[in-house]
Amino acid sequence: MGDITLTMNGAAISGREGMTILEVARENGIDIPTLCYLKELTPIGACRLCVVEVEGSRMLVGSCHTPIAPGMVIQTHSPKVLEVRRVLIELMMASHPDSCIVCEAANCCELRMRATDLEVGLPRFRTRLRYFPLEDENSNIIRDMSKCILCRRCVTACYNTEGKKMFSLAYRGFESKVIYDLDKPVGSDETCRDCDTCISLCPTGALRQPIKFGQRKKGPVLYVKG
Amino acid sequence: MSKKDATKKTFDNILLTLEETQEKVGYLPAEFMVELADSLDVPVSDVYGVASFYSFLATRPPGRNVIRICKSLPCHLKDGQTIIDTIEKEIGVKPGRTTPDGRFSFELTNCIGLCDGAPAMLINHNVHVDLTPGKIASILDKYK
Repeated sequence: MGDITLTMNGAAISGREGMTILEVARENGIDIPTLCYLKELTPIGACRLCVVEVEGSRMLVGSCHTPIAPGMVIQTHSPKVLEVRRVLIELMMASHPDSCIVCEAANCCELRMRATDLEVGLPRFRTRLRYFPLEDENSNIIRDMSKCILCRRCVTACYNTEGKKMFSLAYRGFESKVIYDLDKPVGSDETCRDCDTCISLCPTGALRQPIKFGQRKKGPVLYVKG
Repeated sequence: MSKKDATKKTFDNILLTLEETQEKVGYLPAEFMVELADSLDVPVSDVYGVASFYSFLATRPPGRNVIRICKSLPCHLKDGQTIIDTIEKEIGVKPGRTTPDGRFSFELTNCIGLCDGAPAMLINHNVHVDLTPGKIASILDKYK
């Protein structure tokens, strides 16, 4: 466990061997936005929001899964990086239904939070909206896959922390979808424990708990800047 | 992976097992996928994930003839959409469906490597290139 020195945003910082760029950045108070990243679980690298510029690398690299190397020169908030992050969010928002106003997760939606942080307005792209019927048969979980942004957090978390694998990814390209069983709605007879792991980790309102009377909305209030 | 490894069924070479069944049965029945998942000790959603990813693996029984039209960029730029619309009108079903008489299944597929003859399609294993809306009817007539 030797110390590795690298340059981040012009300042020399050091990290330990085996750490990822993201971990070093967070330890040094540099905020790199993430969506699919889950601390201490296998990096997913699906959302690409955490990309950074590394000198000598042809493309931007995902900081959540790239280990640090001695002498790396990293830019975490260069114009190029910010542009890519904004387009990524725009693309996610473009295929996300415009139902924030009636969405239960609207006050604690990570997608909205990231969009606000990066000052992304209305998306320029007109992509085909993904529409799937609401799955509300199960007493522990409601799935609204129209709101899913394919971050795969639920897939990873269920597999890593619960040792089960309720969900998998299926189809391809625009049709990609997180599925249960043979792409069936989560039935009322599913024996999954009501651990809420996937629900609490879902960055959008795609996974949620059935509303019970008297239950309060959870999560911090989203303050919109400006 | 050597040939010897491939005879042992694991999740890593699941594609071989799926292809084998596709060849034999014509599609991948749900019961087969459930059984396979059980025998490999993986969730059935993983097996379905692989099966649904590839356009040459079917999860529903296909028609007697399978039309596969390329939906990748070169064919799209050569106005592949018109060909898709023409076939849709001709056989009366949308992509992803089978005609009620079971004569045709209509699928969109990713690049089939016939970009020089774009827009291109496959019917069963026969190649049809440089398609125009005018050519479609006579090509389809050959398949009963």
